[in-house]
Amino acid sequence: MEFAPPKSLLELYLGFLSIGARSFGGVLPWAHRVMVEERRWIAPADFAEVLALCQFLPGPNVGNVSVVLGRRWFGPMGAVAAFAGLMALPLVWVFGLALLYADFASVAAVKAVVTGVGVAGGGLFIGTALKLAKPLAHKPWGIALAVSCFGVIALGRVSLFAVLPVAALLGWSAARRGVL
Amino acid sequence: MLQIALYFALLSLVSVGGIPSVMPEMQRLVVDVQGWMSAAEYTQLFAIAQAAPGPNVLVTALIGWKVAGAAGGLVALGAFCGPAAALAYSFGGYWDRMRDAPWRKVLQRALVPISVGFILSGGYVLATPQGLAWQNALIALASAATLSATRLNPLWILSGGGVLGMLLF
Repeated sequence: MEFAPPKSLLELYLGFLSIGARSFGGVLPWAHRVMVEERRWIAPADFAEVLALCQFLPGPNVGNVSVVLGRRWFGPMGAVAAFAGLMALPLVWVFGLALLYADFASVAAVKAVVTGVGVAGGGLFIGTALKLAKPLAHKPWGIALAVSCFGVIALGRVSLFAVLPVAALLGWSAARRGVL
Repeated sequence: MLQIALYFALLSLVSVGGIPSVMPEMQRLVVDVQGWMSAAEYTQLFAIAQAAPGPNVLVTALIGWKVAGAAGGLVALGAFCGPAAALAYSFGGYWDRMRDAPWRKVLQRALVPISVGFILSGGYVLATPQGLAWQNALIALASAATLSATRLNPLWILSGGGVLGMLLF
């Protein structure tokens, strides 16, 4: 099966528009489905490589994917078109929902439901973190670093800007010594 | 609005692991330091961003919107995505060429525990808007366990959280 990049900026924009429009509950699976399976723009291994880069870089993962691939295919205009396509419809959705919620925020039941959704969303992050932590299972130094980051940030409420440099230094030297 | 733009632009560059990692720091800024909203409102805005389609980075647009109107929302989103996008833009080709460089593998291994700790913190902060109550713990742990044990679309897990929220809060 052949993989070929989108032929025009419009095709690129529309592809990312459809990713954004359908991505209820998470963008990544849809990004994969549209680009790899439906439109066949990029091979699975190549997609995984780009994603690894974008998860490593700061910023929203799939947002970064849109910029990196848009640039690869059409230069700066491609990066802008892909990013704009990804964000356009979801942005309309969130503002619409937020306006709707503002009208009903005084209703206790609505507030309870929305708070429950938010707490469950926090739970999703916890589940994601545990999935990511699997490679650390036999690495006590890795577990110690992860737990310290959690303690200092979540419980100690220390600023991320203070924690990241220290944690990065510790992680780097542990990884260099082969204990991570 | 300028303040939020500057702060989000800075946050953009340290958001290793994406939006979940910076949730605690954003909450610290808008709730603890600036007092723009309560911790409960913060979790509710996040819930709205999760319930809509699209990347969860849209929560930055909602925070900006709450603080400074619709224009504030667009500015906040742009400020948060811009610097990271510029980095991704300029770094993309270089990273591909460094595919087998030893320092790249060291860096990737070093970042795993840090991302885990940061994302865990993001989850904790969002799940405890009224402090560490048993209702919050129940919903969050049920949600985390369902995500780990099944392949359900997260949207169902969020809906379950909504139902439990109605019953418990």
